Amino acid sequence: MRIGMVCPYSFDVPGGVQFHVRDLAEVFLDQGHEVSVLAPADDDEPLPPYLVSCGRAVPVRYNGSVARLTFGPVTSARVGRWLEHGRFDVLHLHEPVTPSVSLMALWAAEQPVVATFHTSTTRSRAMHAAQPLLRPSLEKIHARIAVSEDAAQTVRSHLGGDTYIIPNGVHVERFARAGRVPAWQGTPAAPTLAFLGRVDERRKGLAVALAAMPRVLDAHPGARLLVAGPGDASETLRHADPRASAATELLGPVSDGDKESLLASVDAYLAPHLGGESFGIVLVEAMAAGAPVLASDLPPFLRVLDDGRAGATFPVGSADGLADAVLDVLGDGSVRERLRAAGRARAPLFDWTGVSGQVMAVYETVRAGADAAPPERARLWGRLVRGGAGTGAER
Amino acid sequence: MSESGVDVLQTVTLVVIVLIGVAWYLSYSAARLDRLHAKVEGSMSALDAQLVRRAEATLELANSGTLDPATALLLADAATASLERTTELPHEDDLLDGQHFGDREDTEGTLTEVLGLTLTPPVVAELRGRGDGLVDDALDRIAASALRARMARRFHNAAVREVTRVRGKRVVRWFRLAGHADLPRRVDFDDDLPEALVR
Repeated sequence: MRIGMVCPYSFDVPGGVQFHVRDLAEVFLDQGHEVSVLAPADDDEPLPPYLVSCGRAVPVRYNGSVARLTFGPVTSARVGRWLEHGRFDVLHLHEPVTPSVSLMALWAAEQPVVATFHTSTTRSRAMHAAQPLLRPSLEKIHARIAVSEDAAQTVRSHLGGDTYIIPNGVHVERFARAGRVPAWQGTPAAPTLAFLGRVDERRKGLAVALAAMPRVLDAHPGARLLVAGPGDASETLRHADPRASAATELLGPVSDGDKESLLASVDAYLAPHLGGESFGIVLVEAMAAGAPVLASDLPPFLRVLDDGRAGATFPVGSADGLADAVLDVLGDGSVRERLRAAGRARAPLFDWTGVSGQVMAVYETVRAGADAAPPERARLWGRLVRGGAGTGAER
Repeated sequence: MSESGVDVLQTVTLVVIVLIGVAWYLSYSAARLDRLHAKVEGSMSALDAQLVRRAEATLELANSGTLDPATALLLADAATASLERTTELPHEDDLLDGQHFGDREDTEGTLTEVLGLTLTPPVVAELRGRGDGLVDDALDRIAASALRARMARRFHNAAVREVTRVRGKRVVRWFRLAGHADLPRRVDFDDDLPEALVR
């Protein structure tokens, strides 16, 4: 099958949507499908062979945070050319309601469109204000996928109607096979805890983990908190308890291989997120690697953790709750082993084999429907009235 | 004299512009509705095709001789009922035939229910354990078509919602842009996959 995927965010910046698109594209390529991914990228950066750049991403404020997006007439022309040359059987857009290349591709699309919604936002001013403008384009989407119940609720409140839920995927095998690194491995005297994610983004909850450390250190003076992720943590560390800061090791941004090894080595993985998460892919990665998961009880995390059966949970933002959970796991080897086993049993549910199979089933369903319907006309008047003006730009 | 001539010219130009605008808008709305109708038709035909496959695979499993006779009869009965309803349905004279589900909800819901009750985890494990290629194939096809039917039904209902909204617009009602096409309806029935067939 010829698959065209569009990712609104730049590939050189790590992020959940980018990883999802990359993994999905690579899984389908391995299966022998033809895949082309359109995404923002610097043209001088080395790109994977399946990636087509739609131009450089510009940081811009949207819906309360800074996103790196592409827009404008040059991008529009590139989208049109990519669609024209690709002759895709199915077009898979990610986050189609961000003001980005995904929305442009939707505007110009003439083939069946599958759209995946990743985020759960409580409200979006733009979505509300631009409804009349967006609606005709959104009607081109044949199949709507949400990555979680929370993302599906967002789609329901903005667009209404049914959405099919297919979770994010993880290469479970890679995490299960990952080698342990002695420097990160805990000992009974010096157990290790892992935190992953942007350290300067408040909602990732590094401050909560640091606030839990003093009580952990009282019981286990040698305990270490290994923090992996991009960003500047100096501010957060300065505000934290000096003992907690001293027990913290900043690893900076880590490679995929190091992330796998880190999760396989530590005695527990901490997910003290405060909100804004729609899925929690790192939790699945930790489970696959065999790290006991201690997570805040956000609804998406509870769902990933099978209502807390595959990991320990504590109230959102509660440092005491996190400390209790850590002490539980470090103090009792049987608790640790139980959580490891539960996580390992749970993770395969999110393996790419099953997840990509479901996505392919969506493609096939949509293709079957499109084959049954009469083909669309593409004459000038037809293009004008169908809102496919984007493809006209490069003629 | 010359002034009124300009007025006439201006008025005529204005009227022509307005007419073109109205024509464009009507044409645009009709094309939008047409696209939505095509989508609903497509999703319905995808749903129909998967339900037929599900029933056929179920019938094959029932006739494979690997199940006990009571289970086989239950499955065969539900699958046959579904297949009969599909072949009875087509209305050749109606162009939008694809938008009707023809009250098959009960029949398909029954097949779902019977599949769920008969293909329990121990039964499926036992069937898979035999290493019979035909049985494995039938089970795989039931799982695959049930999953796709489930997807197609979601996508269909989302499309129906959109058509219903656009057809409620005044311009569509006043200018009868929908022609004689019936208003498509949601399809609601229990389409859960048998637990043992979920990967």
